[in-house]
Amino acid sequence: MAGEKRNREEEEVKTDDGSPKIKPRPIVRLGIFLIAHSPVFSVVFSAAGILALLLLPLLAKNTYISENALMPGSARSMLSNRDVSAGSKLVKDIKNFRLSHEGQGVEVQKLIGEYMSEMGAEVYYQKFHPEGNQFHPLHFFSGPDSYTLLDNVSCASYGVNVAGIIRAPRGDGKESIVLASDLLKCGELNTADNFRRAGTVAAALVLKVDGRSERFEDTLSIYAEASNGQMPNLDLINVVNYLAVHRQGFYVRVEKVVSLLSSSWLKIIGEIFEAVGKLAHTLNPDWNFGIPAADYLEGSATLASSLYSQALGIPTGPHGAFRDYQVDAITLKVSPRFPPDSKTRQHDFFLRGARLLEGTIRSVNNLLEKFHQSFFLYLLTSPSKFISVGVYMIAFALLVAPLPMVAASLYIDGCKALTNSTLNPAGNFKSWKWLDAAKQVFALHLLGFIVTLLPYFICQIPGQHSPRNRSIMWGTTSSSLLFITFATIPGCSPFSSRLHGTNWAVVKSVTISAAFIGLCLMSIINFATAEIGALLLVPTCLMAQPIKPALRSRKIKSLLGAFCSMVLLTIGFPVMFFAISKELLGEGLVGLSLGGEFWTWLESLWAWKSATYLYIGMVHLPCWLLCLCILFHPS
Amino acid sequence: MKILMLVMLLCYSFASSSGDTTIHTNNWAVLVCTSRFWFNYRHMANTLSLYRTVKRLGIPDERIILMLADDMACNARNEYPAQVFNNENHKLNLYGDNVEVDYRGYEVTVENFLRVLTGRHENAVPRSKRLLSDEGSHILLYMTGHGGDEFLKFQDAEELQSHDLADAVKQMKEKRRFKELMIMVDTCQAATLFNQLQSPGVLAIGSSLKGENSYSHHLDSDIGVSVVDRFTYYTLAFFERLNIYDNASLNSLFRSYDPKLLMSTAYYRTDLYQPHLVEVPVTNFFGSVMETIHTNSAYKAFSSKTSNSKINSEMPLNQLSEDDELQKANIPNDELKTEKQKCPYTQMRVDLQEKLEKLENVDTVVNLSIAVMFIVVMVSSSLL
Repeated sequence: MAGEKRNREEEEVKTDDGSPKIKPRPIVRLGIFLIAHSPVFSVVFSAAGILALLLLPLLAKNTYISENALMPGSARSMLSNRDVSAGSKLVKDIKNFRLSHEGQGVEVQKLIGEYMSEMGAEVYYQKFHPEGNQFHPLHFFSGPDSYTLLDNVSCASYGVNVAGIIRAPRGDGKESIVLASDLLKCGELNTADNFRRAGTVAAALVLKVDGRSERFEDTLSIYAEASNGQMPNLDLINVVNYLAVHRQGFYVRVEKVVSLLSSSWLKIIGEIFEAVGKLAHTLNPDWNFGIPAADYLEGSATLASSLYSQALGIPTGPHGAFRDYQVDAITLKVSPRFPPDSKTRQHDFFLRGARLLEGTIRSVNNLLEKFHQSFFLYLLTSPSKFISVGVYMIAFALLVAPLPMVAASLYIDGCKALTNSTLNPAGNFKSWKWLDAAKQVFALHLLGFIVTLLPYFICQIPGQHSPRNRSIMWGTTSSSLLFITFATIPGCSPFSSRLHGTNWAVVKSVTISAAFIGLCLMSIINFATAEIGALLLVPTCLMAQPIKPALRSRKIKSLLGAFCSMVLLTIGFPVMFFAISKELLGEGLVGLSLGGEFWTWLESLWAWKSATYLYIGMVHLPCWLLCLCILFHPS
Repeated sequence: MKILMLVMLLCYSFASSSGDTTIHTNNWAVLVCTSRFWFNYRHMANTLSLYRTVKRLGIPDERIILMLADDMACNARNEYPAQVFNNENHKLNLYGDNVEVDYRGYEVTVENFLRVLTGRHENAVPRSKRLLSDEGSHILLYMTGHGGDEFLKFQDAEELQSHDLADAVKQMKEKRRFKELMIMVDTCQAATLFNQLQSPGVLAIGSSLKGENSYSHHLDSDIGVSVVDRFTYYTLAFFERLNIYDNASLNSLFRSYDPKLLMSTAYYRTDLYQPHLVEVPVTNFFGSVMETIHTNSAYKAFSSKTSNSKINSEMPLNQLSEDDELQKANIPNDELKTEKQKCPYTQMRVDLQEKLEKLENVDTVVNLSIAVMFIVVMVSSSLL
């Protein structure tokens, strides 16, 4: 019976040759359907991706303590007023010392060391040389090494760190609290590799006391992002947040993009979501996902900041140094409500801050080894709300989904065009038609790789050059290399004649595939970079089309399309995007030229071994160049 | 006909040898704490509190098997080293000088627990780690830790399921390792753990029903953890009022649990347990059987009844008129009275058994009785 059925199916579907063809499986049919209608679906998916990104603040869940052992706040604080007085005395002594001994920074460490040994800690002094900003491509992926002792150090002398180790009175020999003070010369951070020898470090807290809070209460700012978008375990933030808010009465905040708070379009979106949420609630009381527009605005500003900080791959505080050693660390910046001159306020502030630290340490002490229960991949929309990786990946997946579809449909179209045209009688094999395009794409990717490596060589040039000069050198070298590439590799440049040029559809298809692979690889390394990169790259790649036919046809729709692609391409250029993002973040261009600032920014990226730097050079730049080539394709 | 009935009755009484005839001779306690980690301090405190209670009420260390999965007293996080408290007033140190832990740390596993219950040990296991109960033993089995629907979690790594427990109890019953067994469980959804029990002579109480959690009582902010669970706290509150000679009944213990205070329903199961709870003193399980017979004279063979009456008259002269001493003196009388208040039928059977044990030649008695039976059958058939 099954055989008869199959025969009937086979008779229904026949190809041109007349031979029987078996109906393909449903998933293959779905794929073919999607590819056939790829323009529609690409728009739908991309729009859905952007919508999902905008929806993220609504989907944030409340934080909770995942690890049962932590029990924050269950133990009474043992800190007394006497301890706080001793601390105040230390501060006063340091201030007096600094006033009396101007310019001799090394001596303060001795004073701190004395205080530490009085407390009962073992004191160690550590000399270090600050690392120069040397980009060494071979050592990009390895951690800081001790060989970075350079002959031509930018600073004249060395710095001294003082560290105290308080050992647990009744525990393993290894259990201890390490206090380190961060007094440096030359204002650079020392990535202490002595922590490598310490064993398992459960958590690290970097404490900063800063000026004055902007609000009417004592503020605690939490900075959590480490290099390459790594975050500490969410439980560490949860513990500090819980203790600060519910026990010590601090106001906890995380960084926000302030300019977004006043943006009107975001406000409108927030109000729309609130209205939709209310409507859904009236339809079904269980659907309670609407949040007020003000909360949405705050949440999205925090989310944007979180995403941007993670995407950059540069740590937002000194705690970033710890993450390389798999130590969960955060930076806490406490700002008192009143200026610290008032004595009682200062005392109270110290007491509460010290109790917060004590509570956190006591809570982390309850852990057996390290934080392992809560999330490592998340985005914060507020100190007590988070979005986990399972949710924010959906936005990225939706955004990136149209790429393979469009690539496949373009390839099919391109192949058809090539077989139909009489220009290329030689290459009749369908499968080899993409090779020419692949050559072009590969050449430009190689160029991108070389451009990524150029700064190392530029830095090797002897003599002190300003960042502006260096960026100019870099720019000129890369452009010359680009022209050489266009000249040497035939069929590559937009200036070549039609005879040697390949079909732009095939080029676009290979470009999109390369972009897709690059984005997916990047999403594993640093998700936030991939997300922001996708937001830029996907529309650019999808909308890239040759301008010449559009100008020739003079239809409104095609002209509009051409205009959009030009705009996207302009925004997509890394330097332009850098300038725009600086404006958005409210920092603006300080004084140096754009090129100089860009160079400095890139320097900081490679100083922290951020993969974003590689992404810009090896994925974003080549794809941008290819889109440029497609835009100016002579056909 | 009547003679026939009497003879049949006699034969039946010979044939039957159920546990109802065994005497309650000793008490054992198996106290198990299944949780490790510092934040499970309260489970350790629960078990040690029961240990202290049971020892105070008379069960010696040789008859207690204490299984503690972790060491809280010497944990580096303990602010009071070598001390375990079950109350934030820190009045009572449960981990005193004479705590004898039989199974400690990683030895507390489901396998070892079941071996203890069923008595199937490796050869080298020392006597202190074995449950050497016999058919006259009353066993108290107390378990605490994290539990759920029909399971109890051991050490965060494995589970004891209700059917495993029921199987072990069944094996114990078949091997006559207990006369009566009382299971007390203080975990979440504790009552589900003894769902599958079928063996007679088992009494079980759990701190909460299916779907309910069992809660801790209070947090000790000095130590930084919760120090005792509610069910055990109220159990101890009951027992702290008792001493070794009290005869508060099990019924009063079970009635003392208030669901509002416990925040869960303490559920107990008596369908497998024959005696009435009102008549069973708590010391049957939580204390120790001690029939102390005070006597002035030494090494003389005497009958208990006459010497007790002698003592009764002498005691008032010797005592210092303290209330509890009077009570002590009254105990032999009480025991006598309780003896007399026993069922006459069982008394008759006991006497008969004693007489039979004194007999030297059992075979002749059996042959004689068979002959008698034969004669009776002949006579009755001829009559009919």
